[in-house]
Amino acid sequence: MRIINIELPLKSEEIKMFTIRDKLLISGVLYTARDQAHLRLTQLIKEGKPLPFKLADSALFYCGPAPTPPGKVCGAIGPTTSARMDKYTPLLLENGLKVMIGKGERSRVVTEAIHKYNALYLICVGGISALLVQSIVSCETFCWKELAAEAIYRMEVKNFPCYVATI
Amino acid sequence: MTYIRAISEKIIYDAIIDAIGQIYCQSTPETITMINNALTIEEDDVAKDMLKAMLLNEELAAKEKLPICQDTGIVVVFADIGTAVKIENGSLYSIISQAVTDVWEKYYLRDSIALEPIRCFSSNPSKTKDTLQPVILHLSEIPGNKLELHISLKGGGAENCSTLKMFNPTATINEIEDFIVDTVVSSGGKPCPPVFVGIGIGGDFEQCAILAKRALMVPISPFEKKPEYKKMEERLLNQINQKGKGIQGFGGKTTALKVNILSEPCHIASLPVAINIDCHAHRCISITI
Repeated sequence: MRIINIELPLKSEEIKMFTIRDKLLISGVLYTARDQAHLRLTQLIKEGKPLPFKLADSALFYCGPAPTPPGKVCGAIGPTTSARMDKYTPLLLENGLKVMIGKGERSRVVTEAIHKYNALYLICVGGISALLVQSIVSCETFCWKELAAEAIYRMEVKNFPCYVATI
Repeated sequence: MTYIRAISEKIIYDAIIDAIGQIYCQSTPETITMINNALTIEEDDVAKDMLKAMLLNEELAAKEKLPICQDTGIVVVFADIGTAVKIENGSLYSIISQAVTDVWEKYYLRDSIALEPIRCFSSNPSKTKDTLQPVILHLSEIPGNKLELHISLKGGGAENCSTLKMFNPTATINEIEDFIVDTVVSSGGKPCPPVFVGIGIGGDFEQCAILAKRALMVPISPFEKKPEYKKMEERLLNQINQKGKGIQGFGGKTTALKVNILSEPCHIASLPVAINIDCHAHRCISITI
């Protein structure tokens, strides 16, 4: 198992260096997005409106954090099932998305789109919140606060552990 | 002569707060032993790395009282109420729901409930509760004057991989086993393997699903069962693990940690089979009041 430290945003030539099952320790900015946020991002794209952040500059983390306890950087975090986001993913890839972090397999359509747009799908072990929060430098609600756990959070991470699943 | 035992709302409320306070930050001791065993036999380096992360997480979460998973789940309670028990000052549902609401705030657990399941039917689609958090409660009677509560925090990812099939009564054991193995294996990494597989066989449509859920609870094998079912559990566990989906669906020797079957009589026209899956963050506890 290769272990590689990477900084976001990734350059296209960097993505080509990875192989499936590499362990990546990611540093940079992640934006969380689950089902409801995907629905809204997709609607904005279809209406030709600007997105709240630039898809190409970061990674989407399929995650709904728990509330942050006082004195902590963030509440419990971890990946949710990526397949639920499959129906929205090709459009996001077409609009610049490069890196996705979640858990579980993707559909054939998404896998083909990942190949086509030279993107990267990473999995992160589910059910290891206490360990993952150690890699979080900051976490704040970025937009759509009314969606609560399903809002978009901006997370700065340092050596966040993932594995290459689709490339 | 049977004496009625009164149990106060406060005793039940405190017991639930205490029980959930124990499980949100730690899987059952048996789970941790099983993950350790899975690590011992594992040869794949990525699978080993993931299993070590799970074990380290269990240690850290228990020590720092952090949730083992951000999906702190929906609360499912099987309440077995002694026929000589009277609950004072409130219904069992409202006591449990109040305790869950309060413990959620106390430990900063995630509100994971959609009050309206079809979101577009609500003006506030992210509303998680009115005043109290909804829970799932299954009530049954037992002899005596005790109240037994089997409590689980059930995550959504594994629940989504669960299924139910109404077989013909002449279905072969092979057909039933293939259905179970296919369901678990085709779930891949979605339910966060290594998983627990709860199977309900018999009853009717809803009872077999409830049996499958109960089969996931601790103590995991509390019921007497025929040796045929025990052998079936062993065969299923072997077949599932031989397929090699492995840890988080990323390969390895262990996809399932345990298969548990519960059965009940059924209609002569039917043979319902339900499969309920739980992740390695196996958070359940049984308490007796």
